[in-house]
Amino acid sequence: MKFLKNTFAFVIPLTAMLISFIIYIFATNILDNYKVTIASDYSIVIITNTPLIKEDLTSLADIRVEKIITLEKDNIITNIKSNLSKSSIDLLKRKLPHFYKIKLEVFPTTSELDTIKNTLYLNKNIKKVEIFSKNHNSVYLLLLLLSQISFILFTIITIFAIIIISKQIRIWFYEHHEKITILKLHGASILYSSSTILKYAIFSSLISFLIVSGLFVYLVDNINVLLPDDLEDIVKISLTLENSLIKVFLLSFGISILTILGVLLKYKMKYD
Amino acid sequence: MIEAKNIYLSYDENKYIIKKGNFSIKEKEFIFIGGTSGSGKSTLLKSFYGEIPLKHGNLSIAGQDVLGINGKSLRRLRKDIGIIFQDYKLIKEWTIEENIMIPLKINGYSHDISKEQAIKLLSHVKLSHRQGYYPNELSGGEQQRVAVARALAHNPKIIIADEPTGNLDDYSADVVWNLLKGANEQLGITVVVVTHRVPKNFGIRFRQLSIEDGIIYEVS
Repeated sequence: MKFLKNTFAFVIPLTAMLISFIIYIFATNILDNYKVTIASDYSIVIITNTPLIKEDLTSLADIRVEKIITLEKDNIITNIKSNLSKSSIDLLKRKLPHFYKIKLEVFPTTSELDTIKNTLYLNKNIKKVEIFSKNHNSVYLLLLLLSQISFILFTIITIFAIIIISKQIRIWFYEHHEKITILKLHGASILYSSSTILKYAIFSSLISFLIVSGLFVYLVDNINVLLPDDLEDIVKISLTLENSLIKVFLLSFGISILTILGVLLKYKMKYD
Repeated sequence: MIEAKNIYLSYDENKYIIKKGNFSIKEKEFIFIGGTSGSGKSTLLKSFYGEIPLKHGNLSIAGQDVLGINGKSLRRLRKDIGIIFQDYKLIKEWTIEENIMIPLKINGYSHDISKEQAIKLLSHVKLSHRQGYYPNELSGGEQQRVAVARALAHNPKIIIADEPTGNLDDYSADVVWNLLKGANEQLGITVVVVTHRVPKNFGIRFRQLSIEDGIIYEVS
């Protein structure tokens, strides 16, 4: 009974933290999928006098530039060359400015697109900037907000969970102090002496992982519990179950082991 | 086996409990350390297994220098020693054979070998009928016999005992003395015992040291 009570004091904060983590995974996944859906709904085309040094253009409005595609002049010339002589076409090829299409790593908001346009115009080499985009601003910003709130929530819960878990581990060390002392007097290392506490922590982490994994699998299979039917047409969830479960597993055991090592180090400094 | 040259022991810098301690204990000797209460007997014993750090001087236990000892060296030193405490220091939530298995497991023996050895030792201390019992289910004398068995389990070079019969009746005390004599005579283990009451008609050769005002004297 005492063991269960002690374990619960460890399992509850850890489970709360893992649940906040899967909420964050869902929110991020929804946002990422939405970004993919709207990714082709904007286009930034620039016209320059001289060839653009692509390496100089790494980010715009704090968004990393994914790639800059050179638009071939031949396509433009093909459309008009029927009425021109070969020498005129050659001249045109030399005189025509250079065309580029910029792809960003993240879908830009309307205000970011304005900033991008202004930033590009600061470059004297750029003659013209044309931006074509559909307005997805409100949905995109809401999803972005959801993702950021879930991350902040996850961070706060993690901090509180670590505080509660470390307090529980300290209680375990206090309860097992006599046993640890006896084992150390017989030449055991601190890690060996506190193996019972390590077992408690591993057992608790496993319970938390199993609870949250069960919940996660259920939610992935029954997404309508999380998203109303109407919203399912707009946003999608496509999670790789294995990858997400590995993340939950690593977080569950990682946080437990790191916290226990921290408390262990403090204990060792005090009593060794 | 134990060599002390000008050793100083204290819990704080201002007052030394042991001052300029000089003595030598040879292999296979049986030593009693006596003295009045608070004279520093237990402190001296604790310095043998690194529980109290040596302030100055040289103290060598089974070839290992104790001054500034810590970490791996301290663990190695403790593996060479069997310790018996006045309050037994048995782990309450473990059975008595699990308690006896402690030094064996720490020294790297497998669970099966440790258990086999623990059962043999239980028989040696005449507690076979108590196998599977927890320390709290045993009398003080029986608990101390378990502590002796634990101290013998890994065949240590030295056994150090701090008032091993202090809490026991005469019969139980005799049983413990006989076990310690056996360890010394039959197994050749060096035994160092702190006690304020050396048993009469002990029956084997022993040497006695005494501590007075922080000075260690040879009594006999």
